[in-house]
Amino acid sequence: MTANTAVIQIEQLSKTYQRSRKEQVDALKGLNLTIQQGEIFGYLGPNGAGKTTTIRLLLDLIRPTTGRALLFGEDARANSVALHRRIGFLPGELNLWKGYTGQQVLDYVGKLRGGVDAAYVRQLVDRLQFDPTLKVRTYSSGNKRKLGLVLALMNRADLLIMDEPTGGLDPLMQQIFNELMLDVKAEGRTVFLSSHVLSEVQAICDRVGILRGGELKAVESVSNLMHADFQWVTLHFREPVAANALAQVVGVSEVQALPDGLRLRLVGDFDPLLRALAPYYVTGMVTEEPTLEEVFLTYYSGTSGKEATR
Amino acid sequence: MNGVIFTETLRRSWKQIVWWGGSMAVLGFYIAVVVPTMDTLKQYADLMASMPTAVFKLLGVNDAAAIATPEGFISFSYFGYALLILAVWAVWAGMNITANEEDEGILDVVLALPVPRWRVVVEKFAAYALIAVGIALISLPGLVLGLNNSALKISTPKLVASTVNLIPGLLLMLALTAFVGAWARRKSTALAVTSTIIVASYFADFIGRNGSGLLNDVLRALSFFSYYDSMGVMTNGLNGGNVLLLLLVAALLVVGSVWCFQRRDVGV
Ligand SMILES: Nc1ncnc2c1ncn2[C@@H]1O[C@H](COP(=O)(O)OP(=O)(O)O)[C@@H](O)[C@H]1O
Ligand SMILES: [Mg+2]
Repeated sequence: MTANTAVIQIEQLSKTYQRSRKEQVDALKGLNLTIQQGEIFGYLGPNGAGKTTTIRLLLDLIRPTTGRALLFGEDARANSVALHRRIGFLPGELNLWKGYTGQQVLDYVGKLRGGVDAAYVRQLVDRLQFDPTLKVRTYSSGNKRKLGLVLALMNRADLLIMDEPTGGLDPLMQQIFNELMLDVKAEGRTVFLSSHVLSEVQAICDRVGILRGGELKAVESVSNLMHADFQWVTLHFREPVAANALAQVVGVSEVQALPDGLRLRLVGDFDPLLRALAPYYVTGMVTEEPTLEEVFLTYYSGTSGKEATR
Repeated sequence: MNGVIFTETLRRSWKQIVWWGGSMAVLGFYIAVVVPTMDTLKQYADLMASMPTAVFKLLGVNDAAAIATPEGFISFSYFGYALLILAVWAVWAGMNITANEEDEGILDVVLALPVPRWRVVVEKFAAYALIAVGIALISLPGLVLGLNNSALKISTPKLVASTVNLIPGLLLMLALTAFVGAWARRKSTALAVTSTIIVASYFADFIGRNGSGLLNDVLRALSFFSYYDSMGVMTNGLNGGNVLLLLLVAALLVVGSVWCFQRRDVGV
């Protein structure tokens, strides 16, 4: 792999499912997307957007109607077996041999892969606090996810492909997951993960893409989006202050009255707002970053005021 | 890695040899010892002869008098339907080649590993083929033992030939199920199609035998049970042509399974 070969290069990739003799579904429509080494890419979209379809195409589980995907510069379809050595995969719904214990699954998959470092697998098992002695049938969804993560990570893959890995994780697991992904990134490896909840992945992703109805609507770096940039400011006052008292301040909009204060949206610097607050006795002030959803909406609807300057 | 699926399949399923082979052995033993004297066979044959020809032909007997011989009796009452009983195993095993794991979504995990699709089909087929041979061989001692404690006397080589003759038929049904499973995406379709083909073949052989003429010849030619021909093998030994034909068709079906499975979307 030369230094500038993309890890994932998707070109005009489409998939049409034949649902019945008459009914077709265009699940993916002419996708173009490039992902570089060392990135954590968040592939976002609501249910039915085509995320799983894209992932299954990358893994050669299904075949494209048109277009192609290159992984490490090689055709995902023609070189699938060799490429799979370099890929770790976490399916959205992990189905395994129900009568096997977790350990038997790990052993079998390890043998199928060949050359898996058993000490590293044990390390992953410990880190995730996974109990491999039980039967797959008895695992809760959380434990199944842990098993899936060990399976995906066991070969220290150059590329991790994960379908909705964060869905339903408890906060502790979410944190461990984030750490694991950041470790992977720190080693120069690449992560492609899908999610339908932006807030679950915004902490770790470098870039995110939004897919809707099989079409990629936007791709943006998370830091750009976070600087898109506005904040929610909640102010608490000792005496009531009318909402329109601050409505004219530069950068302020969407002022809402709260029982003991105001909540507003602030674009740009704080100074104009702070000066405008001088006559009032402020008992508290809280600022909140907008969610990625809000940022995306702002970013692409052009109301942030910043888009004009781009 | 090479051979991992083969070994794992054997590890998971070798007990089938014990259960199925053992059950067939018990069945063979029972059938052999249940006939106390040669006179019983004579009465049996007379009863047959008193029935209209069509009826006993439908039961798979070409010639009522043949039943009066020990060979005729054992091939009629054991080998005649042993293959049909073992069809249940063959279909179960064939479904395990791709259909079951595809239906359960497990193939997504396996095929995302560095495992070519053809390897899944070929290694699993090989493992089940070995188990099929095991089942056939384990079933033999029951029959031999039973005949030692019976009024019937049949030379052991004839029993060996008849038992070995089960193997090509078993492999054919295994390959057929694998093929239909690899071709149809749905497990239920695969199960229905395969069972229909096997049962239809059994009856085509029956009906085909029950007369002469072009239609009957065609029916028999189409049914793999005709090439199994338990009665013929018991009297004349293994028919090399039939064995080769069944094995050849089985091999073609395995190639066909790989071809179908390699080309299509998995798990949709
Ligand atoms: N095997 C299939 N057959 C027919 N339609 C499918 C199949 N798989 C997915 N679809 C359809 O394709 C679209 C995209 O599905 P999917 O890729 O699973 O979306 P996501 O993972 O983003 O929720 C949906 O409309 C879904 O109903
Ligand atoms: Mg999905």
